Amino acid sequence: MTGTAPVIDRLPGDRRYWFLALGVLLLAWPFLFGSFWARIGLGALMWIGLAQSWNMIGGYAGYLDFGHGAYFGIGGFAAGIAMVQFGYPFVVGFVLAIVVAAVLAYLVAVPTLRLTGAYFAIATWALAESIKQAALILEITGGTFGLSLPRSPDTFIGIAVPFAISETFFYYAMLLLCTATMLVTYYLFERHEFGYRVKALRDDQDAAESLGIDTTRVKRQVYVLSCVVAAVFGSVYAWYIVFIHPNDVLAPIVTDRMVIMALLGGLGTLTGPIFGGLLVFLLQRLSSVFLGSSTFYLPLIGVLIMVTVLFAPSGIIGILRGEVGRDDVRKNLKELGEKFDLL
Amino acid sequence: MVDIGLFTQIVINGLLLGGIYVTIGVGFSLAFGVLEVVDFAVGEYVMVGAFMGAVLAPLFGAEGVFVIPIVLVVFFAVGALIQPLIHHVTTGDRPHPLLMGLVFTFGLATFLRGGVLTVFGPNSQDVPSSLLTGGIAVPGLGTFPVVRTVTAVFGVSGLVVFMYYLYRTRGGMAIRAIAEDRTNARLMGININRYQSIAYGAYAALTGSAGVFIGMTFNASPGMGLQYTAFAFFMVVLAGMGYLPGVIIAGIVLGLTQSFTAVYISGNAVLLVLFAIIYVVLLVSPAGILGKGEWAT
Repeated sequence: MTGTAPVIDRLPGDRRYWFLALGVLLLAWPFLFGSFWARIGLGALMWIGLAQSWNMIGGYAGYLDFGHGAYFGIGGFAAGIAMVQFGYPFVVGFVLAIVVAAVLAYLVAVPTLRLTGAYFAIATWALAESIKQAALILEITGGTFGLSLPRSPDTFIGIAVPFAISETFFYYAMLLLCTATMLVTYYLFERHEFGYRVKALRDDQDAAESLGIDTTRVKRQVYVLSCVVAAVFGSVYAWYIVFIHPNDVLAPIVTDRMVIMALLGGLGTLTGPIFGGLLVFLLQRLSSVFLGSSTFYLPLIGVLIMVTVLFAPSGIIGILRGEVGRDDVRKNLKELGEKFDLL
Repeated sequence: MVDIGLFTQIVINGLLLGGIYVTIGVGFSLAFGVLEVVDFAVGEYVMVGAFMGAVLAPLFGAEGVFVIPIVLVVFFAVGALIQPLIHHVTTGDRPHPLLMGLVFTFGLATFLRGGVLTVFGPNSQDVPSSLLTGGIAVPGLGTFPVVRTVTAVFGVSGLVVFMYYLYRTRGGMAIRAIAEDRTNARLMGININRYQSIAYGAYAALTGSAGVFIGMTFNASPGMGLQYTAFAFFMVVLAGMGYLPGVIIAGIVLGLTQSFTAVYISGNAVLLVLFAIIYVVLLVSPAGILGKGEWAT
């Protein structure tokens, strides 16, 4: 069942009605709440999808990828370069983003996935930073000037479409992509044999290999899949935001957010990134409204991460599932207190 | 045609820069060796140190040097109190202890960076110093800027004191024993909590005071941390994780690479070159260029 099964079981009535209501709400969202909340919804959907893409490699496979944001930027720049430098419509850029991300992710995966743990984290981080620096120097990415993408009606599929490429359009695009990401994750990682292989290699690589799982192959598949998902969101985001710059779409903060969202929600769970993504995104977007400062959410998130790691390593999902109760926190605190015996 | 004067000046600058990077690298490497944690907060300690310099220096007649003792004490105390938290998340029955430690320090880094950004705003601030200005011209070699020279001397002497403690005293032996095998060290009656706290506190103190010097050399800005985290990673990867003597060579390589790239290629390419080197070294020789580091899992 899905990660929150116990909670959902506690809801009154048939769970299908709740899903139906949620679906209707999401579909009607931009019309119900106006353009400000449509933008918030759009961003939340994108970040939930991105958090889930990180969760595939970081949560399910246990490889802490600290350079995942690079693929978001690569997707954005692949689409942007196709549209600006070569004059192709968006769909071509979209396909190109997928192809470029997949090829690059595979080429990176072959050597990098030989590393484990902290080494993998450092290597991916270094790689992402190099890509960002390269994008700042290269001419095709617009260097330090960035790229401005066209958004007239004929830039979608090459001929003019009869609807506006507006915020509402992008809201539904993100809704579609986010839903697709969730379904793919659910099917591949929670239902399919593939997910069991991935979890087996995360929990014990040697044991997984002794069972005949080709761990190298599975790792590469997960990595490429998660990177492609990030690139897909990146390409749509680039077109939505119209202007992309290496310091925005390739910034380490993109990776940081994905990691934080997946971790706070619960690593290696289907619904974790939804909760974590919503929480962090809303904190960040509404920070200036509710906290009176546009950066105050950063230290707050820092504390949240530390508290989560200390007391609830399984994240919000762990709390909802009842894995982390009052007794666990008390036991944890007692053990922690013992470690302060310094004199 | 290579200009000899420029060349030697670049070497001097590179070596002096390397001196201060060594300070950061040694602590980081030790934190890894003893606590088995890869500390994402290292650059933020540098940043907070630099900001303490900027904030406190005006209270001491606009002299950043006088802030150093305060920074040493404060960072030692704070580091000693943070260590038990890190120890807690990296032990016990939780899954992926090393990754949990990594994520914890990542949270700490976010907290420090965001906190300073929120309190002081995004602008950079100067760390004033009237003692350390100007340069000493050495005929035939080039100019030794005073602030960089003192910084490098501080860095190297910090390293020497640290190595003396580590290799010539009982406390240092205890720390090395913990690095070797935590469980066995505990069985031998070592208070591992205490010595781990000392190690982490010393690391934080060194890094924070390096931050004051870096602030005096350049300036203090909330976004500077990431770069030094990158440098620290660069050094331990090159030196081999947990292998302290390698850090000296790695620091010098880093300083020289930085100053040569900046002059002969482009200032923008420095990080690109550094990251490319880290990536290649990690893939080709994960135990460092000397091959003496340890493997982490």
